[in-house]
Amino acid sequence: MLLMTGVVVAVVASRSEGDKSTATKTVRMVIGSEKAEFFADPDVVKALAAKGYTVKAETSGSWAMEGLDLRGYDLALPSSQAPAAELAAKYKVRGALPRPFYSPLVVVAHRNAAGVLAAGGLATLDAAHRGTLKMAAYLDAARDDRTWQQLEGASKYGELTGTLYLSSTDPGTSSSGALYLAAASCVANGGKVVASDAEVERTAPLLHKLVSVQGAQQSSTDAAFRDFVSGAGNPLVLVYESQVASLLADGRQPDDLVVLYPDTTVNSDHTAVPLTENGSAVARLLSADPALRKLEIRHGFRPQGVAAGFASATTYLKQQLTGVRQAPVPTSAVLHELARRARGQRGTAHVR
Amino acid sequence: MSRPRRSLLALTALALLLTACSAQEDRAEDPAAPEPGTLRVLASSELSDMTPVLEQVRKETGVRVRPTYTGTLDAVNLLAKGGADGKYDAVWLSSGAYLRLRPDAAGKVVSETPVMSSPVALGVKTSELGALGWTAGQVTWSQIEQAVRDGRLTYGMTDPARSNSGFATLISVASALSGAQSALTDADVAKAAPRLREFFEGQRLTSGSSGWLASAYARHADVDALLNYESVLKGIPGLTVIRPTDGVVTADYPLSSLASTDATTRTNVKRVTDALRTEAVQRLITARTHRRPVVPSVPPAAGLDTARRRELPFPGSRSVADGLLDAYENELRRPSRTVYVLDTSGSMEGERLNRLKDALADLTGDFRDREEVTLMPFGSDVKSVATHVVSPAAPEAGLAAIRADAAKLRAEGETAIYTSLEKAYDHLGTDRDVFTSIVLMTDGENTRGDDADDFDAFYQGLAGARRDIPVFTVLFGDSDRAELQHIAELTGGRLFDARQGSLDGAFEEIRGYQ
Repeated sequence: MLLMTGVVVAVVASRSEGDKSTATKTVRMVIGSEKAEFFADPDVVKALAAKGYTVKAETSGSWAMEGLDLRGYDLALPSSQAPAAELAAKYKVRGALPRPFYSPLVVVAHRNAAGVLAAGGLATLDAAHRGTLKMAAYLDAARDDRTWQQLEGASKYGELTGTLYLSSTDPGTSSSGALYLAAASCVANGGKVVASDAEVERTAPLLHKLVSVQGAQQSSTDAAFRDFVSGAGNPLVLVYESQVASLLADGRQPDDLVVLYPDTTVNSDHTAVPLTENGSAVARLLSADPALRKLEIRHGFRPQGVAAGFASATTYLKQQLTGVRQAPVPTSAVLHELARRARGQRGTAHVR
Repeated sequence: MSRPRRSLLALTALALLLTACSAQEDRAEDPAAPEPGTLRVLASSELSDMTPVLEQVRKETGVRVRPTYTGTLDAVNLLAKGGADGKYDAVWLSSGAYLRLRPDAAGKVVSETPVMSSPVALGVKTSELGALGWTAGQVTWSQIEQAVRDGRLTYGMTDPARSNSGFATLISVASALSGAQSALTDADVAKAAPRLREFFEGQRLTSGSSGWLASAYARHADVDALLNYESVLKGIPGLTVIRPTDGVVTADYPLSSLASTDATTRTNVKRVTDALRTEAVQRLITARTHRRPVVPSVPPAAGLDTARRRELPFPGSRSVADGLLDAYENELRRPSRTVYVLDTSGSMEGERLNRLKDALADLTGDFRDREEVTLMPFGSDVKSVATHVVSPAAPEAGLAAIRADAAKLRAEGETAIYTSLEKAYDHLGTDRDVFTSIVLMTDGENTRGDDADDFDAFYQGLAGARRDIPVFTVLFGDSDRAELQHIAELTGGRLFDARQGSLDGAFEEIRGYQ
């Protein structure tokens, strides 16, 4: 064990020497997988080191963080507010939780799939690689078990067969899967956030359908996005906009990628749960340090209170989220219940 | 489904230790012992081809990966029972899909990071493509099914209960042939049963591992194709790899850290994961292993067709996945017929004979419906021949009879290995509709009857189909490795070492080949 620690220390030390910085405090964090690349970016390491911090980040599904023993950690950074609130309660963290940046849920589509959706009235395209997914029309299609074969133009593409659905992560363990249910339930509930038992009852069958057609789901958005990038998996996958932006960094322009913004979506509010004073300090830096904020934008996150400029990727991404409705997120209890019902577990808990 | 049985999954866990030993022969060290700078990784057997890549990763990170190879189902079962806690630092399976169907196992995993991907595909002898009238890149599962039904296509695949590739193949075939438009349900499986049964009539080879399947294929000129991961098929000369246009199931090889480990260990897992996803290593992976990269800047190796395929959804519930597996074993696949040639010579007296009796009793929990089992104990000659069939209508009767026979075994006489083996061949017919094999367990050297040369001559004199019957040899007690290795190689079988593991484990591992 000693030697292993030695290996890690050696790596950190050599990195710090290279950066000519004086990193002194090590901050241990557990983060949602979609932020792993951000914290691994040498420029981010350098910016934090300049403020005196070395960050060690581990990834976990946001809802799965509840199951981890976070003693010895300084900061948890799940991908949305609900799991953050539960962690804060569990570890008795007081005060408002910092939300340094956010990112909306988007659908990545292969070009063939996006074209067929647009021709079938389920989406509109406003640039070669960008468009809008009409959530109400999509949910109607899901309700009717619509297949790709029933959409005009799909027969040209062998891969477009079977039931039409969006792939999401497991809503029981991962934030993006749960946020998908938040957006879908809001649309299914006539644009109102689901709050009562009756509304849960009414929307649960559709949510169950959205999840059950997918079969086994990925446990993290990173894994789902990797599969999409490698050409495997469903042609429509729910991911965070930040993941796409990250892929497009360095001027890459993947040909077979269209980003569809659901007309009703949910923002993932990356929320910090500081467990120690050092954790608090890093959370504050993420919100306030100009260098870090610039890097957040480079990684596709939208810092709170600033119009993000994804200048390099405007053919794929929206500069402003105009025309994209933000669905309110149900309470944590309701969201848990919706996730349980969507996964086919019987309803037991009463939400109100 | 027809009777309460011990779960396949529980049974296969027995084989785990043995697999670990026999897969890495001559490794005396304890795979469970922690070691600084080393990650103990519970890994799918298919990942053994990653050795050169992991060596590169070790150079870059200073972290050594020490794999213990196993089947996905074994690994998931071990995780669920907490058996991986403290023994392993990470899990690296072909796919995390089955793991996620088991909340008790999924809860043990903190993060899963896909490292590469490979779809299930059909590898067809290139010389047969013309006769089949197929153009690679335009073949559907229905066409494959039609060719099997017409008797124009036979194939081999690995055992779904024991091998990752077999399980993924079963899911692919069932999803495609059921016509299910989304994730398989119990009803889809039931509806597809007649078609699936017909499809599996074309299966000529079964195997507990992809490696043995490839060598068995090389011996059998009459087998036209193999179903396995694209990466495995690409490594076998003379095969054209077909990804059916109507859908595939893809393995994405997530490297996963475990909740039971400490933060330092998880940091090391992450460093290995990051190193595996660098451009240079992704290039090495696709070039060396024919798997597909998961970073957009690295193209798949030459020869990996990039045309899109539908991804067939993996079942979303454990009952569907386990139900399909159970149906395959007990209803859909061709049944097996096995002769167990068991050494009960004088040297087996005492502890050894008790272990054999116990192992046989345990094994009865794993025999499949419709299976024919012959016990042929021998000493100075074959002592008795008793054949039992596990009838689906009353399986317990056959199993009880096997247990009763096992309990009656007595140790006496010398050791007539070859003469007894010849009698086993004489006993077996050459029925095309069953998987026929012989298991030879001995604790000593041949002292009576025919010798090795006599057996070689006997074997060479067998008519073609009978020569296809493999002998799976079990090394036990004081038996001679070279002697048993020779029998296995001559007949196209495989040697299993029950001296390092257990006799139960060896018998259990052989199930994958029966």
